[in-house]
Amino acid sequence: MSLNEYFSLVFSDYTLRTITLGTAILGAVCGMLGSFAVLRKQSLLGDAISHAALPGIAIAFLITGAKDSNTLLLGALVSGLIGTFWIKGITSKTHLKSDTALGLILSLFFGFGMLLLTYIQKQPNANQAGLDKYLFGQAATLVESDVWLMAVVTGLCLFVILLFWKEFKILLFDPDYTKTLGFNTRIIDILITSFIVLAIVLGLQTVGVVLMSAMLLAPAAAARQWTNSLSTMVILACIFGALSGVFGTAISASQNNLSTGPVIVLVASVFVLFSFIFSPSRGVLFRQLRFIKNRRDLEQHKTLAFMYHIAKTHDNISHPHTIKILNNFQGFTRGTLQKLVKKNYVELDGNMWSLTDDGFKKASNLYNQQNNE
Amino acid sequence: MNSAQIEIQLIASLVAIACAIPGTFLVLRKMAMISDAISHAILPGLVVGFFITQDLNSPLLILLAALTGLITVILVEQIQKTGLVKEDTAIGLVFPALFSIGVLLISKNANDVHLDIDAVLLGELAFAPFDRLFIGGTDVGPKSLWVIGTILTITIGLLIAFFKELKVSTFDAGLSASLGFSPVVIHYGLMSVASVTTVGAFDAVGAILVVALMIAPAATAYLLTTDLKRMLLLSIFFGLFSAIAGYWMAHALDASIAGSITTILGLLFLMVYLFAPSNGIIAVLYKEKQQRIEVSLLTFLLHLKNHSEKRERHVNHLREHINWQKVRAKTVLELALKNNMIVINNDIVSLTKKGDKFTTQAIDYIITNEDAQIEGMKDDFFLFRG
Amino acid sequence: MAQNIAVKVDDLTVAYNYKPVLWDIDLEIPEGVLMAIVGPNGAGKSTLIKSILGILPPIAGSVTIYGKPYKKQRSLVAYVPQKGSVDWDFPTTALDVVMMGTYGSLGWIKRPRQKEKKAALEALEKVGMLAFKSRQISQLSGGQQQRIFLARALVQNASIYFMDEPFQGVDATTEIAIINILKELRKAGKTVIVVHHDLQTVPEYFDWVTFLNVKKIATGPVKDIFNDDNLTKTYGINYKVSIQE
Repeated sequence: MSLNEYFSLVFSDYTLRTITLGTAILGAVCGMLGSFAVLRKQSLLGDAISHAALPGIAIAFLITGAKDSNTLLLGALVSGLIGTFWIKGITSKTHLKSDTALGLILSLFFGFGMLLLTYIQKQPNANQAGLDKYLFGQAATLVESDVWLMAVVTGLCLFVILLFWKEFKILLFDPDYTKTLGFNTRIIDILITSFIVLAIVLGLQTVGVVLMSAMLLAPAAAARQWTNSLSTMVILACIFGALSGVFGTAISASQNNLSTGPVIVLVASVFVLFSFIFSPSRGVLFRQLRFIKNRRDLEQHKTLAFMYHIAKTHDNISHPHTIKILNNFQGFTRGTLQKLVKKNYVELDGNMWSLTDDGFKKASNLYNQQNNE
Repeated sequence: MNSAQIEIQLIASLVAIACAIPGTFLVLRKMAMISDAISHAILPGLVVGFFITQDLNSPLLILLAALTGLITVILVEQIQKTGLVKEDTAIGLVFPALFSIGVLLISKNANDVHLDIDAVLLGELAFAPFDRLFIGGTDVGPKSLWVIGTILTITIGLLIAFFKELKVSTFDAGLSASLGFSPVVIHYGLMSVASVTTVGAFDAVGAILVVALMIAPAATAYLLTTDLKRMLLLSIFFGLFSAIAGYWMAHALDASIAGSITTILGLLFLMVYLFAPSNGIIAVLYKEKQQRIEVSLLTFLLHLKNHSEKRERHVNHLREHINWQKVRAKTVLELALKNNMIVINNDIVSLTKKGDKFTTQAIDYIITNEDAQIEGMKDDFFLFRG
Repeated sequence: MAQNIAVKVDDLTVAYNYKPVLWDIDLEIPEGVLMAIVGPNGAGKSTLIKSILGILPPIAGSVTIYGKPYKKQRSLVAYVPQKGSVDWDFPTTALDVVMMGTYGSLGWIKRPRQKEKKAALEALEKVGMLAFKSRQISQLSGGQQQRIFLARALVQNASIYFMDEPFQGVDATTEIAIINILKELRKAGKTVIVVHHDLQTVPEYFDWVTFLNVKKIATGPVKDIFNDDNLTKTYGINYKVSIQE
């Protein structure tokens, strides 16, 4: 199936519609909650939580024998939460730092999960084929009930965020101050963290435990570059997330052998890369351009100031001088001279230059400004 | 035990030691998550290297992949430098992208690349003895044994040669720079060793379990000691122990060796986390309770010393004024009485001579910021601890 | 002095990780003073106001605001945290930050409306930042950021203001602007408590002072107690300030 076919089929074909809707919703909810995770400086917590969910899936399968994704996700939720609280326990009660705690929980839980998975695979009666998809995600396995679950959780999430928007915002910005206003910061904190865990668990089937954290971070990090308002950032992150989901699914469905997770993550990464470079206010490209322009301006100003000092010693400011004396001055180039001529600050006559009235005024302004600072 | 089993355990042990050494420094330098990033991000380098060399144990491939690891570190640092996103977001953005590229490269070329995605995560330690190195036609052992052995030898060599520099730059980057060891050189040196080790170990234990072998032994050791040499030895020991024990556990369960090794590491960490003598959770909770009561006691004694008026020294004041629960007030009062710090006459509490002396000394220490001394003082004065 | 007591601290002891930071502090702050809390680094100045405000739980002791427990009197108290305590790259505007001052009186869930916005704009005008209302906060200078924080506290329309090092890292103009606002607040009968670093400016800016170094050393009117004796007791070895008369 080619990409074109995919897009022509997406509205008519039941399976494709379900899958696309599922990844779009997932991308949106991840973008929404990811914004909070990024602003709370908990970017890597998502990585730890998603890895920590793996043993939960395996244990849920071992206990119930069910392949029903809701049961397995419940297991993931429980072990994800255990991982989260253990990380908090390690950082608050020992001298191990948060990066160590994250790395520990991430790798130890995941290793244990892999042990259980390989154990399950060797069981004769286990119809294990279903569990592999939780590593890298397989959107094709989404069914209508999964999408319904996602939609319900997303709706709930949206409702809570709208309801407590003010509280979330102030807690993210200034937790101490929030406390003095009489808000119970712990409740707000638990609310945000639980929803983040929920979103991660929800995405495991589609994106997989290994790459789920990027789904949370990338849309939010991209959105941050385009706006300075929290609400716009959250909305943009939703859109970027949903688009990554849709395009990722489209690409992965149109090729053989491509897990959905890595493709979605790559699409989201492209959004990030594009935003980092081309965002007008923060992007690297425009910043570099501004930097170059500033440096040029500075060179011109310096040359002009140098000329001003020479011209000042003469009664007639437009008394011509040879270009040679400028050569001793660092930062002088033919280019800057040409630009000054173009701006009508300087007149050239053969090998001689002279300041114009405009140039003299400009230079004396610059000079005074400098002295005032 | 047959020879394949011995070889597997040998490889696992060498991997564990090779990981534990850079891991210790990563944990101390608060860069544990960098190892997570490296272990994921080397995948594309590994795959491209494999296209070129067709051999997972080729030195060229190892260098290529390790270079990808270094590039990751630099990329993360560059993104951090732009200030566009906060510190750890940069890590979280870079490695999934690179890892995804790796995974897609593998799955697009599944027919040409004999790399299995499961192996990427889990390694194929069980098959390691079958890929053997022949020198001049004689079998000198499994290739991965030689690879990891070489890496380990280099690591140990570097560790011994630069131990002093590593130590100083880890604990005091400023001092290190003033002594003339560039922290930058040491930083990238360490990153290179971590990358090379990750690549070497990758084949055996897989991406994420490399992280476990780097971080878990070091973190466990860090809970037991803060002495660098002892910490290094302990983490090597923990790594070794879990490598061997993990192998036999996998043997018994017929499950993944790498998964078992990690599980043993997890259990080790859990044990130490719970029971470590001074930094374990139980010890910490006990100490906190004791400290809470003893600080309360000091507060109470100080209050008595500050106030001569009777109203402030009435037994009931403790509860009403100092705002303590009944139980806590009672515990504190009893402790003070048991230690002969106070006397109670007609419900009015007064300091004894001993109590007075103790309080004066304690205040002195606190104000001069030498509160560590108080612990010693407690031993001198207390008959009973809180 | 027949003044009301605005803040009363009783036997307050605070410890970080069971390491004592503040010891048995008794403090009465009369209504309508402009008070500086001074003391060396690590003396517990910020800790004192943080535990008065309930951000750090004390081990012992109690705080009352106009005779009632702090928890019941929250609406009477406003707080200006240290400028460095928040992430100024947070995606929000100056006006938005000032509006946060109204959140406490709004309570849970309720959104700010026109009335709150008007109050925020007025506060911005008072600190001379009205022109910057839609500016992203990371694009403000250190002094401007401090003014935004002050405006946020002004919006709370409180009786007692606690400020943690409001003069740190601000330009001279802002320092003067801030101190003028503080003096205005005092004139309006409010009580202002400031953690302060610069001993030289204490007599000029403040009328009340508390010396703190783990214990309370002294508290009272600047003209009575701001002397070499108390300074030495607070800062250790023979501390002398030349106070310009």
